Amino acid sequence: MNTVNYLEILRLAAPETIVTVTVLIVLGADVTVMRGKSIAARFNVGALLSILGCIFAALLAFTRHTEANLFNGLMVVDPSSDFVKVAILALTVFTILISTSARFTDHVGEYLSLILLGTIGLMFLVSTEDLLMVFIALEFASLALYILTAFNKHNEKSAEAALKYFLFGGMSAAFLLFGFSLLYGISGSTNLREIAVGIAGKGFDPLLLVALVTTIIGFGFKVAAVPFHLWAPDAYEGAPTPSAAFIGSGSKVASFYVLAKIFTLGFVGAEGSAVWHGYLSGWTPVFAIVAALSMVLGNLTAIVQSSVKRLLAYSAIAHAGYMLLGVLSNTPASASAMMFYVITYALTTIGAFGVVMVVEEATGGDAIKNFAGLSRRAPGLSLCLLIFLLSLGGIPPLAGFIGKFFLFSAAVSAGANLGLLWLVILAIAMSAVSFYYYLRVLKAAYVEDAPGEAPAIKVPLLTFLALVLLALLVILFGCVPGLLTQFL
Amino acid sequence: MIWIVKNLWLIPALPLFAAGIIAVNKQPARKLAATLAIGSLAVGFLLSLCAFSATLGHHGEGVFREVFSFPWIQFGGQWMDLGWVLDPLTAIMLVMVTFVGMLIFIFSVGYMAHDENFMRFFCFLALFAAGMLGVVIANNLFLFFVSWEIVGLTSYLLIGFWYHKPSAAAAAKKAFITTRIGDLGLLLGMVWLYAQTGTLNFYDGGHGCMESTQLVKMATQVTIGGFAVSTVVGFLIFLGAVGKSGQFPLHVWLPDAMEGPTPVSALIHAATMVAAGVFLVARVYPLMAQSPLLHGTMWLDTTPMLIIVTWVGAITAIFGASIAVAQNDIKRILAYSTVSQLGYMMMGLGVGGVAVGMFHLITHAFFKALLFLGSGSVIHGCHEEQDVRKMGGLKKYMPVTFAVYAVGMLALAGFPLFFSGFWSKDEILHSAHNWPVSHIPFLLGCTGALFTAFYMTRQVALVFFGNYRGHQQAGTPSAHAHSHASESSHDPHESPAVMTVPLVILAGFAILLGFVGTPAWPWFDGYLTGEEFKFDLSKLTEPGTLGLMIASAAIVFTGLGLGWFLYGKRPRKTVAEKDVLEAAQPFFYKVLENKYFIDEIYEGTVIRFNAFAAWLCDFADRWIFGGAVMLVKYITVGLAWLYRLTDEYFVNLGFDTGCEALRESGGGLSKLQTGRVQTYLRVIGVALVALIIFLIWGRKA
Repeated sequence: MNTVNYLEILRLAAPETIVTVTVLIVLGADVTVMRGKSIAARFNVGALLSILGCIFAALLAFTRHTEANLFNGLMVVDPSSDFVKVAILALTVFTILISTSARFTDHVGEYLSLILLGTIGLMFLVSTEDLLMVFIALEFASLALYILTAFNKHNEKSAEAALKYFLFGGMSAAFLLFGFSLLYGISGSTNLREIAVGIAGKGFDPLLLVALVTTIIGFGFKVAAVPFHLWAPDAYEGAPTPSAAFIGSGSKVASFYVLAKIFTLGFVGAEGSAVWHGYLSGWTPVFAIVAALSMVLGNLTAIVQSSVKRLLAYSAIAHAGYMLLGVLSNTPASASAMMFYVITYALTTIGAFGVVMVVEEATGGDAIKNFAGLSRRAPGLSLCLLIFLLSLGGIPPLAGFIGKFFLFSAAVSAGANLGLLWLVILAIAMSAVSFYYYLRVLKAAYVEDAPGEAPAIKVPLLTFLALVLLALLVILFGCVPGLLTQFL
Repeated sequence: MIWIVKNLWLIPALPLFAAGIIAVNKQPARKLAATLAIGSLAVGFLLSLCAFSATLGHHGEGVFREVFSFPWIQFGGQWMDLGWVLDPLTAIMLVMVTFVGMLIFIFSVGYMAHDENFMRFFCFLALFAAGMLGVVIANNLFLFFVSWEIVGLTSYLLIGFWYHKPSAAAAAKKAFITTRIGDLGLLLGMVWLYAQTGTLNFYDGGHGCMESTQLVKMATQVTIGGFAVSTVVGFLIFLGAVGKSGQFPLHVWLPDAMEGPTPVSALIHAATMVAAGVFLVARVYPLMAQSPLLHGTMWLDTTPMLIIVTWVGAITAIFGASIAVAQNDIKRILAYSTVSQLGYMMMGLGVGGVAVGMFHLITHAFFKALLFLGSGSVIHGCHEEQDVRKMGGLKKYMPVTFAVYAVGMLALAGFPLFFSGFWSKDEILHSAHNWPVSHIPFLLGCTGALFTAFYMTRQVALVFFGNYRGHQQAGTPSAHAHSHASESSHDPHESPAVMTVPLVILAGFAILLGFVGTPAWPWFDGYLTGEEFKFDLSKLTEPGTLGLMIASAAIVFTGLGLGWFLYGKRPRKTVAEKDVLEAAQPFFYKVLENKYFIDEIYEGTVIRFNAFAAWLCDFADRWIFGGAVMLVKYITVGLAWLYRLTDEYFVNLGFDTGCEALRESGGGLSKLQTGRVQTYLRVIGVALVALIIFLIWGRKA
C-alpha cells in the first residue's frame, strides 16, 4: 500500500467535507447565536445554512469532472457517482425545506445536523466499490435515520417505530455483514471487481448462495422490498413526516445505486436467469421473486390503508418492486432507466410527504378523511398533491409516466425472447391497481366536502415554495426527460 | 396605366361603403341615408365620366382596353386573380348605371318620403348599386359572379321590401328561385371554363379566357353531343343571362317583381339589373362568336350559340309584347314591355353584335326608367292606384308627368327620327333583316314593334285621356257626374319637383341619345368596336336602310293609329267596361291576359312535379330511410340491451368480484403487519431459508 496522501483524500471528498463543516456550523450556530430565539427563527437560520452548504457541495460535485480510485476502490469518484450525490443533496435540500415548518421538536440544530449526517453517509455509500466501506457508510446513514425516526419525543408511536426500525435494521445489518464475510472468504477480497474475479468458476457453491441471499436481505431492508419491508409502514407512520420523506427519498436513491453496483460489478457470472420457463439459479431470479412480491403486496395492501403515510409506505414498497425490475434486467439501459425512476420517484415522494405534513399540522391527522375538501381549503396545495399522486400512478405527461415507460421498455428488451415480459405485465397490472388508492386520496381532496367548519389552510411559505418547485420538476422531467437522462 | 384604371374599384366601393354606414346607423337618419347614397353615386358618376373620357378618341386604333389584376387566392400551385377592366363596354355601362341610378335615387327621396323603412330602402339601393357596378367593371368571371349574386340578393330584398304584403313576399321568392335556375347554369359554365382554361380572367394580356389563344383551344375541343366546348360553356353562361334578363322561358319572375316599390322597378327591373344578362352576353361575346370551326357547312358567318341567342331573343320579344297588350296594371304593362325589349337586345346581340344590342340597352335604360318613374309619379298621384282602368284624364291633373311620359312612350314605340328608340330598334331590325340564317326573327321583331306601338298607345290613352275614373267603385257604372264634382283631395295631383326633375332629365336623354347611333353617324358602333367612321348623311338614303326605315316607321304608325282608333277616340267610360279587344276576340284576349298560361303550365308541370318529388322524398325519408334508421335503432337498442346484460351480470360482476378479491387480499396481506417486531424478524429468517432452498433447488434443476 502506498503512503497515504490525506490532502488527496480531502480533495476527492470535498463535497462530503463541505457538508461535514456545514453540520458543525449549523450545530454551533444553533447553540450559540440562536440560543433563546424562537423555533421558527432557529429553523429558518439553520435551514438556510444547511441549504447553502448542500448547494455549495452539490455545485462542486456537479462541476468537477474527476475520475479517481483511492485505496483500491475504497473511495471511487466518477461523474456518475457525482451526479447521484447531486441528486441526494437536492433531495436533502427539499427535505430541509419542508422541515422548516415542522413543530415536533425544539432541538432544531440536532435535527438538521442529523439529516446532514445521514446525507454524508449516503454520499460515502455511493462513492465506494469496497464492501467494508459500503457497510460502514450504510450503518452511518442508518444510525442517523433511526434517530430521525425517533425524533418526535411527544409521540410514543415515534419511539416505537424507531425501535422497530432499529431492531429490524440491526438484524439486517447482521445478515449483511455475515454475507460480506462469506464473500470475503470465498473470493479473498472486499473489492467488488476482485470479488467478481474470485467467485468466477466457483459454480454455485452453497456458501456463495448464502452470501447472495444475505446480501439481498441487507439491501432488501434498505429499499423496503417484500419480505424485508415490515418495518416500513410502522416507521413511515410513526416517524416525523420530514424524516419519513428523507427515508423514502435520499436513502432510497443511494441504496438503489449501490445495490445495482454491488450486484452488477461483484456478482458477475452469478446472474442466473429469471426468464419465464428459463429459470437459472443466481441473483436475478431472487430479485424477480422479491420484485413480484413487492409489487403485489405493496399495491394490494395499500388499498386498505386509511392513513396516507402508511399508504405512501406501501406505495414505496410497490415502487421498490418496479425499480428492482431495472436492477434485475441488468443492462446499461435498464440501469439508467432505474436511476431515472428512483430520482423522479424520490422527488415526487418528498412532495407527497410535504403535502401530508401540511395537512397533518392543519388537521391533526394523516388519515384520508383529513384530506376531505382540501381543494377548497388550499387549492394550490391540493393541485401539488394531484400532480404528485398522478405522477406516482404514472399519468402522462408527468415524470412518473415516462419513468415507468423507460423502465418497463428496458425490462422488456432485456431478457431474451421477451423473457421478462411476465414481470412487466405484472408490473403494469399492479400499477393499474395503484390508481385505485391514489385516486381515493384525490377523491377525498377534490370531491368530498370537509366535515363541519373548514377554514382555509395556511400553507407555510417555504414549504409551499418547495412543493411548487417539486411539482414543476415533476412536470418538467415528464415533458423533457432528456434533462435528466443525459447524466445517467 | 392611367390612374382611373387603377382606381376603378372606387366606383363600386363607394356605394358599398355608403350601404355599410347606412346599415349601422340608428333609425331614423333619413337625410344621412339619402345623402350618402346619392352622394356616393354622384362621385361614382364623376369617376365614370373620367373613365369614359379615357376611352374616347381611340377610333381606328382597335378597342381601347386596360386591365388591372391582383392575385387573390391560391389553389394548389395556381393563383386566382381578381381584377377589373376598362374598355368602352365598361365605360358606357358605368356612365349609364351611375347616371340613371343617381336620378332614380333622387326620385326615390320623394317617392319613399312617407315610408318608415326609408333607411333600409336606401341601404339596399346603395348595396345594389355596388353590386351592379361590380358586375360592370369585373374582369373576372368569379368577381362577376359574386357581384351578380349581390345584385340578385338586393333584387330579392327590394322586391320583398313591403314584405308584409304576401304577394310581395311571394314575388321576391319567385324572382330569387327563378333566377337561381339560370345562375346554376352560369356557375356550371364558370367551373367548366376554369377547368378548360385555368383562368377566369376575361382579358389578361393574351392569356384571358376571352382572348384568341384560349378561345381557339376551347373551340377545337369536342364534348357532349359533338358540340365544341366553347359552345357548351357559352350556352351554360347564357342560361345565367336568360334567368337574369327575363328571357323566355324564365321570364315569369319579372312581371311579379313589380310588387316592389316603383323606383326599384325602374332601376333594377328595367334599366340596370335585367340588362346585366344582356351585358353578360356582350361581355362573353367573343366566346359566343367563336366559330366551332365547322366551316363550309350551314353556318355562314354566325355560330350555333348566336343562333340560340337570336331565337330566344326573338321569341321573348314577340311574347312579351303580345302579353302587354292585354294587361291592366300600369306597371305590369311596362314589365312585359321590358321583357319584350330585353328580347330585342338579345336578338340584336345575336344578329348584329355587341354594338347593336348594347345601343338598345343604353337607350332602353333611359326611356324605360323614364316610363317607370313616370308610372311611379302617376301611381303616387293617384293614391297608390295601379289599375289603368281606374285612371283616365290625368293629362289635366299631371301635365309634366304627361309630357315626359309621352316622350318615353314615343321613344319606346320607336317614333321615327326624333326618338332614341327608333334608331336603336331600327338597327336591330336592320341587322335581323340581313341575318343569313332565317327571316323569321325579323318578322317576329316587326310584329313585336307593331304590338309595342299599340300597347303603349293603349296605355297612354287609358291613363291620360278621357275622364278620371278613380272615384268610381268597381262595378258601378255611370258615376261620371260625380267624378267631376269637385277638385277634392281625392283627385290626382302632380308630383313634387324632386320627382319630376329627374323625369325631365331622363326625357331629354330619351330623345337625344338616339343621335349617337344613327346610320349616318354610327358613333356608338365605332366607339365600341374601335373602328373608323364618319358623318355621312347619304348612308340614310341607301336603298336598304331607307326602305327598312320607311317600313319600320309604317309599322309604328300602324300600331299608334290602331291604338288610338280603339282606345283614344272612344275613351273608356267606366271601370267595369269590357276591354275593346276582349269584346272583339274574347278567346285571344283571355289567353293574352293570362300570359299564355305560362304560370299555370309551370304550376301544372314543374311545380306539381316538384311537389310530387317532395312528397316522394318525404315518403322515402319517412318510411324507407327512416325505416332503415329505425331498424338500425332497434338493432342497436337490442344489442345495447344485450351488452348491458353482459356488462352487468358478467363483466361488471366479474370485475367487482375481482376488485373485491383484491381488496380482501389487501386486507389479508395487511394482517401480516402484526406490529410485533418479533414476527418481523422471524419473517426475515423464514425468507432467508426459503430463498436459499429455492436457489439450491433451482441449481439442481
